[in-house]
Amino acid sequence: MENKIKISKFDDGLVIKISGDLDSYKTLSYKTKILQAMEKNEPLFLLFDLKDLTFLDSAGIGLILGRYNDIKRVGGQVGLVGLSSYAAKIVKISGLSSVIKTYKSVAQFKKEVRV
Amino acid sequence: MVTNSMELRFKATLKNESLARTAVISFIESLHPTAEIVGELKTIVSEAVSNAIIHGYHLDASKDVYVKGDIEDDVLSLIISDYGQGIKDIDLALTPHYTTRPDLERAGMGLTIIESLSDSFKIRSVINMGTRVMVTKKIVSAEEKVTDDVGQ
Ligand SMILES: Nc1ncnc2c1ncn2[C@@H]1O[C@H](COP(=O)(O)OP(=O)(O)O)[C@@H](O)[C@H]1O
Ligand SMILES: [Mg+2]
Repeated sequence: MENKIKISKFDDGLVIKISGDLDSYKTLSYKTKILQAMEKNEPLFLLFDLKDLTFLDSAGIGLILGRYNDIKRVGGQVGLVGLSSYAAKIVKISGLSSVIKTYKSVAQFKKEVRV
Repeated sequence: MVTNSMELRFKATLKNESLARTAVISFIESLHPTAEIVGELKTIVSEAVSNAIIHGYHLDASKDVYVKGDIEDDVLSLIISDYGQGIKDIDLALTPHYTTRPDLERAGMGLTIIESLSDSFKIRSVINMGTRVMVTKKIVSAEEKVTDDVGQ
């Protein structure tokens, strides 16, 4: 699987799809890309789509947690979608699952944050 | 009895994290690990290697990181070593969410994750001498798992 990040817009949110390996090396460039998109679009909602993720460690957790803190400051919400059982385990051990909710689909996230 | 062993030395740059992960995974390939085990091992290796590079050597690519692996029956032992700055207070370093590099958005969860994903975990560190992380993990084979599942 190729390592890549794809950021797409929906209403006042962004879907951040990360494919392949999300390690310490990749988080450096991905952080810049996400921050640029956030500056441009000023989103209230961020959804990390990790369906095609093949590797996760605490560097990726730090990246997601950092954006959660940014979004919290503007009163928005962050969600996760597409976790494999392996990724879910890392999310749980790291404590990320106690602050960020996992959603069944992009559609479910959009629906729930609208309420 | 050790049935296979390997040693890897590489420069302390984050680009080499994937090299370390891939090498360890090919090393255990003959044991037919489950996808779960492969994922967990990759995470263990990356956490230890990124700690060596970032905290041990402060990203000084002239320094070397070492990964040593032994397979004994179906158990993998790994030793990840650096000869960098060492850890002043290991108990503090092991505390969840503790990090000396919040500026790099480190979550302070690396050692906690290594400990939870491995069957045994030891860390030894001496200031200005370096740090050594030792883990063992039983390699559950995908074939074994199928048999178990059928048996239940
Ligand atoms: N190899 C190492 N050399 C020096 N210090 C280390 C090493 N590994 C861990 N540490 C120290 O332990 C702390 C906690 O490590 P860890 O749990 O992996 O969190 P993080 O890497 O996110 O800071 C680090 O911030 C660092 O101060
Ligand atoms: Mg770490």
